[in-house]
Amino acid sequence: MNCIEIEKFSFLYPQQTVPALAGVDMTVEEGSFVVLCGKSGCGKSTLLRQMKTVLASHGQKSGCIRYFGTELEEVDERTQSAEIGYVLQNPDNQIVTDKVWHELAFGLESLGYDSATIRLRVAEMASYFGIQAWFLRNVNELSGGQKQLLNLASVMAMHPRLLILDEPTSQLDPIAASDFLETVRKINRDVGTTVILTEHRLEDVIPWADQVYVMDGGRMIADGTPSEIGRKLKELGHDMFLSMPTPMQVYAGVESSRECPLTVRQGRRWLEKELEDLQLKAAECEENIGGNGRETESVHHETESVRKRTHVFSEKEVPEIRLRDIWFRYERELPDVVKGLSLDVRKREIFALVGGNGTGKSTTMNLIARIRHPYRGKIWLEGKSIDKYTDNELYHGFLGVMPQNPQSLFVKKTVRDDLYEMIDGKKEKRSDAFSIEMSKRDAVAGIVSLTKLADLLDRHPYDLSGGEQQRLALAKVLLLRPRILLMDEPTKGIDNHYKKELGEILRKLTEHGVTILLISHDVEFCAQYADRVGLFFEGNVVTNKPAKEFFAGNSFYTTAANRMSRQFFPDAVTVEDVVAGVDAYVRR
Amino acid sequence: MNKRSDAFSACHPAVNFFYFMLVLLVTMFLSHPVLLGISFLGAFFYAVRLKGWKAVAKFNLIFTLPAMVIVAFINPAFNHYGVTTLFYLKTGPVTLEAIVYGIVLASMLFIAILWFSCYNEVMTTDKFVYLFGRVIPALSLVLSMVFRFVPKFNAQVKVIRNGQKCVGRDMSNGKLIKKIRYGLTILSILITWALENAIDTSDSMRARGYGLKGRSSFSIYHFDRRDVTVTGILAGLLGVCLLGFHYGFSFAQYDPVIKIGGIPLTPWSVITYLAWTFICFFPFLLGLWEDESFKKLEKKMRMDRDIPWYLKEDEPGSEQKILKTDMTFTEYMNGGKETEGGTECELY
Amino acid sequence: MLRDDKLDDFLDVFWDEKSADSVDTDFWEEPQGKEKLNYLEYSDLMAVPKNKGKLPPRTLAAIFLIVVMIPVTIWVGIHFFNDRKYLLISLFIVFYSMIPFFLTFESRRPQAREVLIIAVLTAIAVAGRAAFFMVPSFKPVMAFVIISAVCFGAESGFLVGALSMLVSNMLFGQGPWTPWQMFSMGIIGFLAGILFQKGWLKARKVSLCIFGFWAALFIYGGIMNPVSLLMSSYAITKRNLLAIYISGLPVDMVHGAATVIFLLLASKPMIEKLERIKIKYGLIEE
Repeated sequence: MNCIEIEKFSFLYPQQTVPALAGVDMTVEEGSFVVLCGKSGCGKSTLLRQMKTVLASHGQKSGCIRYFGTELEEVDERTQSAEIGYVLQNPDNQIVTDKVWHELAFGLESLGYDSATIRLRVAEMASYFGIQAWFLRNVNELSGGQKQLLNLASVMAMHPRLLILDEPTSQLDPIAASDFLETVRKINRDVGTTVILTEHRLEDVIPWADQVYVMDGGRMIADGTPSEIGRKLKELGHDMFLSMPTPMQVYAGVESSRECPLTVRQGRRWLEKELEDLQLKAAECEENIGGNGRETESVHHETESVRKRTHVFSEKEVPEIRLRDIWFRYERELPDVVKGLSLDVRKREIFALVGGNGTGKSTTMNLIARIRHPYRGKIWLEGKSIDKYTDNELYHGFLGVMPQNPQSLFVKKTVRDDLYEMIDGKKEKRSDAFSIEMSKRDAVAGIVSLTKLADLLDRHPYDLSGGEQQRLALAKVLLLRPRILLMDEPTKGIDNHYKKELGEILRKLTEHGVTILLISHDVEFCAQYADRVGLFFEGNVVTNKPAKEFFAGNSFYTTAANRMSRQFFPDAVTVEDVVAGVDAYVRR
Repeated sequence: MNKRSDAFSACHPAVNFFYFMLVLLVTMFLSHPVLLGISFLGAFFYAVRLKGWKAVAKFNLIFTLPAMVIVAFINPAFNHYGVTTLFYLKTGPVTLEAIVYGIVLASMLFIAILWFSCYNEVMTTDKFVYLFGRVIPALSLVLSMVFRFVPKFNAQVKVIRNGQKCVGRDMSNGKLIKKIRYGLTILSILITWALENAIDTSDSMRARGYGLKGRSSFSIYHFDRRDVTVTGILAGLLGVCLLGFHYGFSFAQYDPVIKIGGIPLTPWSVITYLAWTFICFFPFLLGLWEDESFKKLEKKMRMDRDIPWYLKEDEPGSEQKILKTDMTFTEYMNGGKETEGGTECELY
Repeated sequence: MLRDDKLDDFLDVFWDEKSADSVDTDFWEEPQGKEKLNYLEYSDLMAVPKNKGKLPPRTLAAIFLIVVMIPVTIWVGIHFFNDRKYLLISLFIVFYSMIPFFLTFESRRPQAREVLIIAVLTAIAVAGRAAFFMVPSFKPVMAFVIISAVCFGAESGFLVGALSMLVSNMLFGQGPWTPWQMFSMGIIGFLAGILFQKGWLKARKVSLCIFGFWAALFIYGGIMNPVSLLMSSYAITKRNLLAIYISGLPVDMVHGAATVIFLLLASKPMIEKLERIKIKYGLIEE
């Protein structure tokens, strides 16, 4: 039985000329686990919303969507509410009531169940999802991961047959995210609920999928089992690979006739076989003089060049940010959050702090931003103690801070107004926030070009996608001409394409003398763009090394590319490194 | 939350709410000194039990007492009824009757506020929301959402404020006009953020069937046998009181001469006052009774575990204590689990 | 638009304030024309009453209840409580007059987004009241209630006003004054909504400020001052009333000034934001 059948479905938003969805076909079998992927803005969310009438956007539709054989529009609202569960992106926004128990019961109340039934269902859900411990709590005491779990549980309490999840983990940290996805998988496996999921974090979900659909520009460009998808995308030569799991990305970059690997384990075996083949070929070509040695050499050569880049700084140079023996706690009675932290960040480098939740990374950033003050130890910025700067010196033209949530910076109703708002309005009057000779209009236009916002100037900031919002926030901060930029989780909730753009902007900034300190859970991003990486643990930086060295040295806290290929290319950290390594093999 | 468990708070919210309404309304319309005194003592003991000596004393000395003094003197300064003139002010003669009446009025206000402070402890927001969930479901949902949003917004204000501080707009220093402008910017950012993100919330509500006909309302509260008993007792006492009031035992007059009903004491007036005493002391006594039963229970446990001291190291003494505070009286009375519906115990 | 190859030069000038001589400052692909102002006119942005002048039947019913039922209650009160118990009568009136608002809201089974809008507005008002806790009486609540009423109608105005007082008292401590505060703030929202609908109150700063000041002084002060007299003394005389009103005047002035300041500075952006939400939620089509 097919749970959802979509035939030639097209959709046009009002006052738009380009259809958001064009002739989409999709068939979802009951009990299957389906992953829908595509760049942001490709129409994934629009399509998912069309699968539930109350959430469907208004606009011109053609084609049809059937739910268990009946036209979706004809399935009454009550049935749809109960049977089609929908979990959205932001965990916080979906919670309606103030108590966990009430939230769990919310959907059941809507359906009009009596108290005894609700009590049973709620108890069932609380037990299944392990919510008992915080059952009576207020929702605002929960962590992000718990909140999203609560959202899932309160949808599951209605016993849906179809569960739709729209990027449910984009706001969660990696550990909470994989816990959450694990739970979704468990539901699919144990209860047999059909799951349709969109995700950025495909590494976790693609291997589980029965069926993968890939969308681009409102069209379905490929579908099939995960490994079929890998081959099809490779044939298409599509840049969608950027959002695929690392093994698939490597697969795309390498000539191979084998089946597409999905997990790190499969990837390693695949790579092993490929390299064996190459070696055999090389042997046939009787030109086998210590191939392996030369290979690693070439990768070494590459890391050398990276090191050179970071090595430009002489040891005598004053570090841009210097922390010495910093101790901090929020209140006298509370335990220390930062413990004897010492750290140097050199001028013009991108320094990434990685590490688990609650280890004090964000607190450290607040200390450097002078929002909080250490009770012991000292911070120097460009060789001057942070306390000696006035607010104006510090925050205008010197230190910029990108908050984790870009929305917390948006004030005005258009992107343009919002940018001007940062430098005290459109009037060409010099002020503390904008003291240079250049006209404000030029400054804004230049920053807009840098951050690629030119086409969005008349939009409302909240109508932008996650990645665009991130760039707008960055543009706002950059208008104050910071020489030190602190960024808190800059890649949270944005897809790989946007990450790439962001990374390139950051690189450009460092070329112009900006020093960037960022904290991130995103190992892949740090490996790709950071110069040095520090591991934060228990209020202190445990190691800090150049990025490649850092990730190559770790066995768990490292990129998927490294985990997959470390036996063959110990220094390869990014997908490009691995592909380059294989290429070097081929070339011989 | 290290709150002490309180027997009366563990009763059904309806019992809590109507009890407070009853006591407050009656107190606010009394001008009888004896009844007011009883009400005061009841409120005072219960407040101390709920919040501890220090909190009650601090609250009363700093906020209530000064207000009370002012109120007590306003009356005689502007009102000159009565027969016993004590001295003259610019506004006219000051009489004993007016002074006494001023004090009575002030204490009435004072007692009401004291009861309210107990009310705030006992009637937590979720109880209030639940209580009106059946009568006014939409509004109680609005309230529940407001209680969800207020802490969320407060947290967001902090985030926004830090963000603004880092772009050089610090609300905590600078000129007043700048401060106000920065404050408004923060508010403005918050409002947009709140409204735009609420669209998700509305989607989430509709996705879970909000707006379907026949919405029911669920709660974790139960009107159990003890609540019935408590309601019965209170209703009985109230009946006696009202009867007494009807016969004039609550009568008090301060103009032109002081006249107080029920005094000198008659058997009937004593009964009325006793009933009122029981009403006012009810939550306090219930608490005492609970303490007492737990003491007995502890004794029993101790007898069971009469073992040499050197083996007692492994004795889970601390756990026992946790158990004691965590277990509500209801659970104890019901033997922990013996309530209707098998899933009960998990829900509490 | 910046020329692609000029980005680096631009960044040099922007960050390092290199003088324009050392770097070619001809960054632009085409000469920067005047930025076109694609803003709507001020009056377009501001809220406009729908069906101007007509009041919906529910509102009429509410007015009827207030106008007719209150005198009846007073009459009953005077007859049964010997005219001494002003407190009781007024308490009943207050509850009485709030009931129709709450009930009409209930009886029309509001949609998710209506419920949500009221909840969000109320929560913002409460958060605003909490944010200014260190300055007594200087609160943005009334300004916010008035703006809500202008954008979402009299009924919403009442609910936001009444609920924000109820909730903030629930969070910061309930007292005997709660019902009256709820009533006063609610009625201010209600009035603002009606006056706006009737076209007497304009969604312009001056108009809003005048109403705000007047409401703070005469409605809020006009209700809360006698109430404090009621609670502290049963003797309601002209002189007492005048005295308490004068003694409460400074507080009311602060309150009024706060309302005016908030309306002056925040009314325009706030109305814009609410109007946008109305469109985005699809509230405007109905």
